[in-house]
Amino acid sequence: MTDAVIVVALLLVAASATVAVATRDPERQALVLSVLGVVLAVLFTVLQAPDVGLSQLAVGSAVTPLLLLLTVRKVRRRPRRKEPPP
Amino acid sequence: MNGWILAAALVLAGGVGATLWGVASGPLRRRVIAQNLTTALACPALLLLAQGYDRPSYVDVALVLALLGPVGTLVFARLLADELTGDPPRAWGATWAVAGLGTVVVAILCAVAAPGRATAKLLVTGVLLIGGNVVASRALAGGFGGVRRG
Repeated sequence: MTDAVIVVALLLVAASATVAVATRDPERQALVLSVLGVVLAVLFTVLQAPDVGLSQLAVGSAVTPLLLLLTVRKVRRRPRRKEPPP
Repeated sequence: MNGWILAAALVLAGGVGATLWGVASGPLRRRVIAQNLTTALACPALLLLAQGYDRPSYVDVALVLALLGPVGTLVFARLLADELTGDPPRAWGATWAVAGLGTVVVAILCAVAAPGRATAKLLVTGVLLIGGNVVASRALAGGFGGVRRG
C-alpha cells in the first residue's frame, strides 16, 4: 500500500511535468506549474521528507506562478507604452 | 498497509488526476477552476497521509497548503482578471463537493485523534481549507466586483 501511493504520486508528477513542458501559452503554463508544485510536495511527503515538501509548497504553489504572471504582464505591456500617441 | 493510505491514494489518483486533466486541456476558465480544486483535494490527501503514517507533524504540510493554495488562486484571479471578466469561471457544484470531502475527512480525523492540540490543529486546517477555497472560488467568479481591477 505504501508503494502504491508512491507510484500514484510519481505518475502524477510525471504527467503534470509533461503537460507543463507541452503547454505553449505562458499563462496556462503558470497554472500547470502551480499544480506541479503541489503534486511535488505530495511526492516529497510520501517519500518521508515533509520538510522538503514544505519549502516546495511555499515556492511552488504561489511564488513561482506570481513571478511568471508578473513577467508575462510586464513583457506584454512594454510595446504599448512605446507606441507614438495618435 | 492501512486504510488511511489507501484512501489518500484514491483521493490522489481520482481527484488530483481529474484536476490534472482539467488543467491540461480546455479553455482558460476551466484550467483556473481545476488549479483551485487541486489544492482543495491535495490537502485532505495530505491529512490522510499524516494519519496513515502515524506522524502528527506531517499535518504541518497540509496546514501550509491550506494557507498558500487559496493565495495562489487569488494571484491567478487578480492577474488573469482581464481574460476572465468576459466569461467568469463558475463551478459551485464541484467547489462544494470538494469542500464537503474536506469536511468529511477533517471530521473523521478529529473523531479518531485524541482530543487536544492535534484536534485544534486539524480544525484550523479544515477551516482554512474550506474558507480559503470558497473565497478563492468567489474571487474567480467575479464575486468581489467592487475591487479595482488593475
